[in-house]
Amino acid sequence: MKKHLALLVILLTSCELPPRDGTANVGQKVGVQAAASGTEEEYVMITTAVTMPMYVNHDQATFKRWGKERNVKVSILGPAEWDVPAQINTIEEVIGTRPSGLLINGTDPAIGPVIDKAVAAGIPTVVYDSDIPNSRRDAFLGTDWYEIGRMQGEEMVRLLGGKGKIAYMGILGLTNMETGFRGLLDVLKKYPGIEVVGKFDDKANVEEAARITADLLAAHPDLAGLCGFDSNSGPGIALAVKEARKAGKVKITTVDWEPEHLQLVREGVIQMLAGQKRELFTWYGAQFLYDRVHQTNRLSANDVQVGVTNIPTSVNTGLLRITKKNVDEFINR
Amino acid sequence: MKQLLQERTYSLTLTILLVGIGAAVAFPQTFPTFGNWSQLLLNLSIDTIVAVGMMLLLVSGVFDLSVGSVVAFAGGIAAYAMIQLGWSVGLAVGLALLVSAAIGAVNGYLIAYQGVNPMIQTLAMMGIVRGGALVISGSGIQNLPYWFTAISQSRLLGVQMPVWYMLLTVSVFAFLMHKTVFFRRYYYIGGNEKAADLSGIRVRRMKLYGFVLTSLLAGVAGLLLTSRLGTALPTAGRGLELRVITAVILGGASLSGGHGKIVGALLGAVFMGLVSNIMVLARVSGYWQEIILGLILITAVWTDMALQKRLRQSLHRA
Repeated sequence: MKKHLALLVILLTSCELPPRDGTANVGQKVGVQAAASGTEEEYVMITTAVTMPMYVNHDQATFKRWGKERNVKVSILGPAEWDVPAQINTIEEVIGTRPSGLLINGTDPAIGPVIDKAVAAGIPTVVYDSDIPNSRRDAFLGTDWYEIGRMQGEEMVRLLGGKGKIAYMGILGLTNMETGFRGLLDVLKKYPGIEVVGKFDDKANVEEAARITADLLAAHPDLAGLCGFDSNSGPGIALAVKEARKAGKVKITTVDWEPEHLQLVREGVIQMLAGQKRELFTWYGAQFLYDRVHQTNRLSANDVQVGVTNIPTSVNTGLLRITKKNVDEFINR
Repeated sequence: MKQLLQERTYSLTLTILLVGIGAAVAFPQTFPTFGNWSQLLLNLSIDTIVAVGMMLLLVSGVFDLSVGSVVAFAGGIAAYAMIQLGWSVGLAVGLALLVSAAIGAVNGYLIAYQGVNPMIQTLAMMGIVRGGALVISGSGIQNLPYWFTAISQSRLLGVQMPVWYMLLTVSVFAFLMHKTVFFRRYYYIGGNEKAADLSGIRVRRMKLYGFVLTSLLAGVAGLLLTSRLGTALPTAGRGLELRVITAVILGGASLSGGHGKIVGALLGAVFMGLVSNIMVLARVSGYWQEIILGLILITAVWTDMALQKRLRQSLHRA
């Protein structure tokens, strides 16, 4: 009995509660030089849905090109599916290997604590695509998703002359897309002639987007417009609209500018693409990490001690507005 | 020795040891460290807790595809109750567990008493519950109370709590499955359902309990994940059901029922976690990870089956 009690006391005294200020697992911020010294210089990109064509063609291709140009090792890691906890697990495991810098896709605010852990371990960390404002990341580069929604809303109002039924779709539950939806609705609510018939989850799947669109066209023959928010929304919506022989009559705005999207704009099926400058996310994101590690633009005798970062804190890379007028320039780039 | 190797849990333990030694030689600076191992175990703890329930079901010859959605829903419900309704941590956790058990009860009732196909029923439930998680959590619920996050973010002996909860769950269920008549009935049901029924086992009721227990464990896993992340994610647990079924099959369960040990669920999850960890350390590109994981799993199961077949033949000859 005494033995059991003693064991219980030992266990209880070994129990360590997380700190109350939300900085669990975070120690003192250490100098970034520690991460860069000694071993081979390596920059690691960690995302979810690592095989998504948009990520592969834009983010990852540019990151690899940057690595070649700088003559440093670059690695791309993360789960194949959209799985934020798995992305967090990967970041945790990579921190232990102490790379020179981390370039992290800001998929969800839930990754904030693990970003803090990387920063506390002295690893320069840059977030791209969507910001994680609750984290201590060194820098952020990306697009304002609210602006993506607003841009689509304004274009749709212009295309419909301020009246008609519209619907929109994307991956429900993702922070950046919900922000985009809010931007769209904030524009549309100013126009009483516009009726929003629904918000739909296409699960980032072309077939699902096409199925939803076909159902919508059957239920609302007077549907005037559709807005898409993930890479596969546009092709799916366009497929169903073409099959219903309503191309050009039902207006479509969507995100991204993969070759398929551009072709659909050229054909007049999609009227506008709100394109992100994804190449800039990872090129300059990686360059920021490099500059931080190499102290390229030192601002004081010891930036770390003074608590300043020698790279921009936040960069909005802006949006591309692609329509039939300028689409050829993007196809022929 | 031969008899030992016939048992999947032993052969898998041996495989894990060999792979671990190989990784320690290949990555001496990063693999055999306390930090890496505590992280590896933390990363597989949620899946393993769900795998314990799935092992129980597979032993009795059925499975549940809705567990991943329950993980997201349970976390969402607890977070909603705490943030939107202002409930205490205890009440919110209780509600989430109650709802999780209720989902299992619906699955169990329709499958065991109404004869609905388990795959169809749990697939439909997967969609319903995922939709519920989206409705409740929206784009995620943050800023959860301190004492809720402390459930998973606290440490004992330097290791984060979900690892201890996982070990506790495995130990308790391994004991129950091994030592109690009640849980051993699942082996009889999985082995021959009709014979079990004729021998007086209330098969339908036992199946109902199995689904309730599995869903309850998925609810526990969902609460632990939400507490660890400090956020209720509606997308949490996507694809978890397949990972868990793979781990359980790897750990010795059979899709036709009647076989498997709870420790096997842990070992299957450890093996998968180990392979994922090594691929991160080796910087294997994300494109290749799924392919390599799939190939390793097929090879491991095939090698194990071939080994067991040969051992059985040699024992038979002796």
